[in-house]
Amino acid sequence: MIELHGVTKIFNKGNTNEFLAVDDVSLTIDPLRITVLKGPSGSGKTTVLSIIGAMTKPTEGRVYIHGREITSLPERFLTEIRRKTFGFIFQQFNLIKGITALENVMIPSYPAGEKHSSLKDRAMRLLEVLNLSGKATSKIEWLSGGEAQRVAIARALINNPEVIIADEPTAHLDTRLSQEFIEAMAALKEKGKTVLIASHDPLIYSSPVVERVVELRDGRVVLEGSHQ
Amino acid sequence: MLQRKSNIFLWCVAANILVLTLLFTHAYIEQKKVLPSLVQRINMVNDLQLTDLSLFTDARYTRHPSMADLNTAFQDHPLSLEHFPSGTFIAPPRHLMRNGLD
Amino acid sequence: MVWIEKQRNILDFALSSLLRRWGKNLALVIVYTLIVFILASIFFLSHSIKKEASIVLQGSPEVVVQRVIAGRHELILERYMDDIRKIPGVLAVKGRLWGYYFEPATGANYTVVVTDASREKAGSITIGAGVARVAGVQKEDTMPFKSSDGTYTTLEVADIFSHESELISSDLVEISEEDFRKLFSIPEGSFTDMTLRVRNKNELNVVADKIRRYLPDTRPILRDEILRTYEAIFDWRGGLLVVIFTGAILAFAIFAWDKASSLSFEEKREIGILKAVGWETSEVITMKSCEGIIISLSAFLLGVILAYIHVFFGSFFFFTFVLKGWSVLYPRFTLIPYVDPYQICALFFLTVAPYTAATIIPSWRAATIDPDSVMRL
Repeated sequence: MIELHGVTKIFNKGNTNEFLAVDDVSLTIDPLRITVLKGPSGSGKTTVLSIIGAMTKPTEGRVYIHGREITSLPERFLTEIRRKTFGFIFQQFNLIKGITALENVMIPSYPAGEKHSSLKDRAMRLLEVLNLSGKATSKIEWLSGGEAQRVAIARALINNPEVIIADEPTAHLDTRLSQEFIEAMAALKEKGKTVLIASHDPLIYSSPVVERVVELRDGRVVLEGSHQ
Repeated sequence: MLQRKSNIFLWCVAANILVLTLLFTHAYIEQKKVLPSLVQRINMVNDLQLTDLSLFTDARYTRHPSMADLNTAFQDHPLSLEHFPSGTFIAPPRHLMRNGLD
Repeated sequence: MVWIEKQRNILDFALSSLLRRWGKNLALVIVYTLIVFILASIFFLSHSIKKEASIVLQGSPEVVVQRVIAGRHELILERYMDDIRKIPGVLAVKGRLWGYYFEPATGANYTVVVTDASREKAGSITIGAGVARVAGVQKEDTMPFKSSDGTYTTLEVADIFSHESELISSDLVEISEEDFRKLFSIPEGSFTDMTLRVRNKNELNVVADKIRRYLPDTRPILRDEILRTYEAIFDWRGGLLVVIFTGAILAFAIFAWDKASSLSFEEKREIGILKAVGWETSEVITMKSCEGIIISLSAFLLGVILAYIHVFFGSFFFFTFVLKGWSVLYPRFTLIPYVDPYQICALFFLTVAPYTAATIIPSWRAATIDPDSVMRL
């Protein structure tokens, strides 16, 4: 459902600190599967995720979502597609400090102009599913690492996206929480979501739940393989 | 769960605007109410042949600015600085700035 | 409907954003409100006094003729009145007797004036409420006055002018002609100045011209000019007001500059997160301008309301010492609430627009970045 054709990304093009992050990558992400992008840091995983998730435009190449080309769309449409199709879980969680968990979860849906009470209900239900209903009105700073991670997951789900994208989700987590994370992803896949994870954590890419691993090195696809 | 923040804010703004409207309405009503005493004062000015408000009684040229001549503001010397605080509020009357004969 | 919900959501977030640094933002609102309060108070006070002057002084004489020698005010002679009566179009010509009396005991200046009503009543005076306060006298009390030849005259207070009229009568001492001339050693046949009426209002300038020509050492002052004098009080170019307004504008500029100069790292990060989770650039900018509007609008509304209450209900309490200056005698009066809508509108734009623009400026750049950079934070 997501296709990359000859995608290249060069940062700071034309300047002295020009940097080739992704080099002629062609890739297909299958729906309803858990795919992992594996590779050391600097291999371009984050950039590929970024391009797939319409966060940035490639310097060369094209990206298709459901057969529809998105690379040449103006920002407005891109933002709408991103909001409706993707839910992001960042490496640093990137939750907004000083406001409650509940509000953090609702924020991605604010621009949609939905009725406030129904948005709030939906957010509460997500937090309940993730065992966070008690912490809904707590400010982010007061949550533990595991709780913050679950808030980040809830936030990624608020717009009911088709695809969940997670960038190094277990980088700051211990084994138990990492295990919980991958189980949560499995549960989401069961619910009909597509999951795409970038990670160099063996716990993730070697997990039996992961159906496909794409290995990246120096911005290029090196190996494609699938477990099971 | 508390009221939504934007609701609280919007209600506060509405309340303030309401108060402001009430105050300006008060102004309008007062203006009408006070007309008779204004007329009384006009008559008094007429009868007593007054030319100025009794606002600043510290100096001659601040008490009767419309009657002031070019001199009194300078008091003793042309370089004399403004003596009186109320002189800083009152601009010299325009008819003083004219050049005598036209 | 959707659009309204969206704006309310954005407003919610902007409020959350401000509440996160609530101490700093509260201080900002307070200081901002204070500045608006001072400016609005000045506007209300000055407009009100000017308006009242423009109405009440409609009763002033049509033409006042002064004699000016070496640039100074000089007594005018009876024969001048005869000369003026000859000018066609001139109706009643009257000599006016008025002057200042300084009371050393209190340091107060009285304005002593002879009127038609008091002219014949030797030995008695009518005084303004301010005089009564400062001299500590009531009706039927007596007051001593020192003449220019050193002798004292005692005059009886027949009446006190009403409190409603304090703005025009507070420092008046209405006296008889005989007592006036004795007090100030002004000989018969001399007057302080003279007033006259003309038959045709359109002829005023012509008559004034003729007066200047026939009596070159005189200066006619028209009622129009008297009224225009009061249009210029509290003019923004007046000393004290220039200082206040400059200070206020500087304060506004500093606030705006502080906002506009840059966003904190935290604020930039937040904007990045918003973009990353699906907010458009325009929505981020709307949110930022909401922050600006919330603060400046609150300051404006509070400041103007407090200023109105301060000036019209609280008798401009905070400004009384400024207005008094060095006067010992000052009128106690309540202002009629006249409000100039243009001034209020101007104040609104001055308060809200620059500050809001200042919040948008740095946000613009941050809001247009690729959300991709947030991935790398």
